[in-house]
Amino acid sequence: MKYMIMMFGGLGAAVRDRSPEWITGMHELLVTLDGELREAGELVASVKLMDPGQATTVRFTGGAPVPTDGPFAEVKESLAGYWIVDVEEERAVEITSRVVGYTGFPMEVRRIMDEAADL
Amino acid sequence: MTGTRIEDLLRAYAPQVLTTLVRRHGQFDACEDAVQEALAAAARQWPADGVPDRPPAWLLTVASRALVDQWRADSARRRRETAAALDPTDQAPAADADDTLTLLFLCCHPSLSAPSQLALTLRAVGGLTTAEIAAAFLLPEATIAKRISRAKRTIRAAGARFEPPAPAQHGERLGVVLQVLYLVFNEGHTTSAGPALQRPDLTAEAIRLARLLHRLLPAETEAAGLLALMLLTDARKAARTGPDGSLTPLDEQHRDRWDTTAIAEGQAILTRTLGTGPVGPYQLQAAIAALHDEAATAQDTDWPQILALYDILTRIAPSPIVTLSRAVALANVHGPRAGLALLGTLDTNQRMRQHHRLEAVRAHLLERAGDTQAAHISYLRAATLTANVAEQRYLTLRAARLQHQSFSAPEIIRE
Repeated sequence: MKYMIMMFGGLGAAVRDRSPEWITGMHELLVTLDGELREAGELVASVKLMDPGQATTVRFTGGAPVPTDGPFAEVKESLAGYWIVDVEEERAVEITSRVVGYTGFPMEVRRIMDEAADL
Repeated sequence: MTGTRIEDLLRAYAPQVLTTLVRRHGQFDACEDAVQEALAAAARQWPADGVPDRPPAWLLTVASRALVDQWRADSARRRRETAAALDPTDQAPAADADDTLTLLFLCCHPSLSAPSQLALTLRAVGGLTTAEIAAAFLLPEATIAKRISRAKRTIRAAGARFEPPAPAQHGERLGVVLQVLYLVFNEGHTTSAGPALQRPDLTAEAIRLARLLHRLLPAETEAAGLLALMLLTDARKAARTGPDGSLTPLDEQHRDRWDTTAIAEGQAILTRTLGTGPVGPYQLQAAIAALHDEAATAQDTDWPQILALYDILTRIAPSPIVTLSRAVALANVHGPRAGLALLGTLDTNQRMRQHHRLEAVRAHLLERAGDTQAAHISYLRAATLTANVAEQRYLTLRAARLQHQSFSAPEIIRE
């Protein structure tokens, strides 16, 4: 089963007041985790998004789509990146817990719907 | 023979086989597909069966058959061409240098977008497979396949033929070719992070193609300049990133890890070239890269000379990016405040304001000017603007170091 594991928040919020050691540790954790998931054949995709401050939101305004600068959600609730893993749910939660254990920020695990008919 | 050697062989023969096929049958797009099939067949069979005695003839035969299969599948209307393609009398491709050049011009056709030019050039001239190109650009294979077939349709719709550009257009078209090769190089140079293990080395591929172009057009000073620039820049590759993919800036690199052979070759090409024709941006940038490479330590860098070269570059090919680099040189000659003042002139440029390099350079200069607080804000802003993970990490760390001065960071950044 495929799961999407989502991280939220802007870069600034996550690292602004952190020490260099913390930032380095965070980076090492992500690189190690990526490598492990890849090695284990569990990783489908690993995506980091640019800071939500750089986002454009397109809204339907006055009968037409209008782009405006900035993210749709609050910066701290904006998607920052995600992994897609092909694992059992417990494993997806375990992976997520490792990251949350380090950062302290909440993350979300969502199952990805199947494309093929399975009736 | 190892897999890598076979790949090298295939990449070297690819343009030669393709141009021979196009000369015989026209139809660049169909021929290009056929050559891809032949390369794939060779990659499958040669490692097991050994490399044939005449590899180009083998490839041409297999590609011709693939072409015939395509035509048969299309319809019976091409019976005449089919007979010609199967004619066994002349099966060795002629290694015509001009044809390879024509192929390069065709792949860098001005009707194509830059991403299409890059993909098509790497496949048709570089001999890379669709899968290899996809891996290099971290894109799905289907995306690159579509991009290439669309590019070939666009070329056909634009009425382009397999012939060299008219003399009047030669300079302009060559400019596009140089730009495409430089883009390939930069793509490999900047995105050195990521899961690099399976990525074909784009910088190496760009250098190989620039070398080919320089050999085909030895009198073109800018083609020589581009090759020299690539060699002199790529020479610092090993010192540029740490084992964990972190970025090391020029002034903190271990210079004994620079590739002296590449530097010597770049210098030789540059020395041979300068003064033999018009001086263009690639030669100037190569000359600047050479000055950096010649300095035994960062402190030994001949900044006044570099500034002088940027002054010329500003005159003949002004751009915001040149101004940005010139600001660094200016800061090193006349102090950080002089550099910062020049950077200020770029703030009105809408595109530069969103460019992480402007903010990153400003942060460096502010730090050197002792304005820690402003530098911190600039580093963080630059970090939110970059799309490169290694750069983002570097900038974030620089920002954090300013706030936590007790931290003895350098080994993380230096190694």
